[in-house]
Amino acid sequence: MGTENILLFKSNIKTASDKFAVERILDMHPHIDQWTIDQQDEDCVLRVISPRLTHNHIIDMVKGCGYHCEELTD
Amino acid sequence: MRIRNEDKVRLVKQKAMEMLVSDGFEGFSVNKLARACGISVATLYIYYKDKDDLITEIALEEAKRMGDITLGDFDPELSFVAGLRKQWENRSKYVLENPIASAFFEQLRTSTYQDKVMECIICDFKAKMDTFMQNAIKNKEVDAMPLEVYWSVAYAPLYSLLRFHHEGRSLGGKPFILNDDIIWRTFDLVVKALTPSN
Repeated sequence: MGTENILLFKSNIKTASDKFAVERILDMHPHIDQWTIDQQDEDCVLRVISPRLTHNHIIDMVKGCGYHCEELTD
Repeated sequence: MRIRNEDKVRLVKQKAMEMLVSDGFEGFSVNKLARACGISVATLYIYYKDKDDLITEIALEEAKRMGDITLGDFDPELSFVAGLRKQWENRSKYVLENPIASAFFEQLRTSTYQDKVMECIICDFKAKMDTFMQNAIKNKEVDAMPLEVYWSVAYAPLYSLLRFHHEGRSLGGKPFILNDDIIWRTFDLVVKALTPSN
């Protein structure tokens, strides 16, 4: 797995119920291999492994669920 | 483009252990670690999924290193005294040269990370120690006894001395620096205690 397939975002998906709200759409997506959210960190970093999707695809999906999501840049 | 620079990887590991020892698991965050290392948060998240993953990976890596040092030049076929002496040498070397990592392991012992970390190193280590003990018992160099009894006599004195050394003082706040004379004098008493009486 190349690191270029890892997409990182700052989010406000803070709680278990927030996570539940985005879980279904991320779990079901055929082009997402794996995703995690670090809810123990202040940026609630969403980490998505996908060889096909772009940052904007994920941002649109998460925003569609009512949460903030922006690319985590260097 | 992100490059996995080995110096950076070492820095991340060292800083993470330092911060975990000083701030505890609750006070530790990937953000703070990135700031302390002068690298971006994104770089850390490329290699670690989250805080738990980072702590577990760092602990596993360090546990493996500790296991390698503890078993370094240790032959389970050695006589009991020679083998125990080698263990004292290896264990004290690791603790004295790696005070932060040692404090980190102390912290892990009472945490939920302990099981994941221990199962990784215990196999090879346990196999060698079992062989060593079985030989010692067979050769009548030591009596069979419960592991806890054995450990409390064979190794606990060494770890007490190492703790006094790290704290810089012993009982009643008396200043203390560990030296070879103290280590080996204690070792001789341990051997005496473990030697069967007839």
